[in-house]
Amino acid sequence: MKVVLPVLGLLAIIGAWWLATIVFGIEPFLVPSPADVVAEFLEVPGYLLEQSLITLWEAVSGFGLSIVIGVPLALLIVGSTVLERMFYPLLVALNAVPKVAIAPIVVVWFGFGISSKVLMVVLVCIFPIVISTASGMKSTPGELVELFRSLDASRHHEFFKLRLRHAVPQIFVGLKVSITLAVIGAVIGEFVGSSAGLGYVISLSGGSANTSLAFAAMALLAIMSVALFYGLSYAERKLVPWSEEHRVV
Amino acid sequence: MIGLHGVSHTFGSVAALAGIGLEVGEHEFVAVIGRSGCGKSTLLRLIAGLLKPSEGHVLVAGERVEKPRRDVSFMFQRPALLPWRSVLSNVLLPIEIFGLAQRKYRDRAHELLDLTGLGGFEERLPHELSGGMRQRVSLCRSLIQSPRVMLMDEPFSALDAITRTELSEELQRVQLELPRTVVFVTHSIDEAVLLADRIVVLSPRPGRIHRIVDVDLPRPRALGQVELDEVSRELRELLAEVTA
Repeated sequence: MKVVLPVLGLLAIIGAWWLATIVFGIEPFLVPSPADVVAEFLEVPGYLLEQSLITLWEAVSGFGLSIVIGVPLALLIVGSTVLERMFYPLLVALNAVPKVAIAPIVVVWFGFGISSKVLMVVLVCIFPIVISTASGMKSTPGELVELFRSLDASRHHEFFKLRLRHAVPQIFVGLKVSITLAVIGAVIGEFVGSSAGLGYVISLSGGSANTSLAFAAMALLAIMSVALFYGLSYAERKLVPWSEEHRVV
Repeated sequence: MIGLHGVSHTFGSVAALAGIGLEVGEHEFVAVIGRSGCGKSTLLRLIAGLLKPSEGHVLVAGERVEKPRRDVSFMFQRPALLPWRSVLSNVLLPIEIFGLAQRKYRDRAHELLDLTGLGGFEERLPHELSGGMRQRVSLCRSLIQSPRVMLMDEPFSALDAITRTELSEELQRVQLELPRTVVFVTHSIDEAVLLADRIVVLSPRPGRIHRIVDVDLPRPRALGQVELDEVSRELRELLAEVTA
């Protein structure tokens, strides 16, 4: 049932879409039918998969980099009130700036290559990771903190053996938000300036009114996001079996 | 083993404890009883070195308590187990924090788990256990370091009545096998009478020692034993005085 229901939902939507294109006689350059999209994909499958891999790599490496930077940043914020007061508002401000507005500047600084895309991904991903890690660490139950105090544990132990471990389920919440944003960040970067990736394919096909190609690229983006999201959910179930009982989503 | 001399503690402007003087001998089991809010938990935290007294001083093994000591263990109201660690690794946590060689204590951990009926559950995670079993793991953890003093803060109060009885009888057995100096905070008269050599009755706001009752009854004792009734009645009267 876990697989059957989502597949049924998807088929229903695709069926409705197909029916609409036939019943209302919509021109393919406005809304292509599912068959048009599949046909377009089958014309250049190698090219589209290659562009998918580029976008996937940008998203995943930016996401990985966000973890590598974000988690230590959260540790610093939780560890020092001074650092928290100094940099937390800046972090919020950074997150509030629309990333589309930063994208052209990022391209000017880092060029048309992969690094500007990875940086865009980091900019959208890092905030949820820092917030979820920091709040997870801060929400460690008082009795566990007191237990560590009663054992005269060092701050280092309290952080790594207790707080960070306790935060893992919440970190996963942040990661799941971030991973879908990662794909969006990569596409924004590609829109603004690049010569490869699915975002580039979409902006190109918009220019030439090749709507079917744009739809094919969007479908690939959607599949990629879903696969990444559920991959993370799977990892979460394997890594934090104890959080199963408090899990809401 | 434990000495409190003129100990007072205030939180901000609220006096929690005032003028506490108490000596606890080696291997003595002292229960502290009183209404909620009478400073029972504060008293334990002062002995543990988790809090510093506003006045007076606390001695353990002849030394002034400045911070938590390794030969003093603390057992909480809730099991306070780390949910990502197996039962065995939870029991060994103090050893790990103290930086001692864990393999030297592995056998002892198994012995303690067997003693409390948890043999065979070593690799389970806490969320797979019942409330009573979790609190038993917590008991094993506070025994692993062979503490000279055990401080217990209403350790069975979050359990259902049946499990609670079971665990207090079990604690009596453990105490007969591995005698320690124990300060046991509770609001259950039955528990106090079953387990303690002496029972300290606290009066509330600020907490003061109202009376100390000696329990000169042979062990093992059993809940519901007629001889315990007399002491229970005395305690009930004392507690009634305290609130009046």
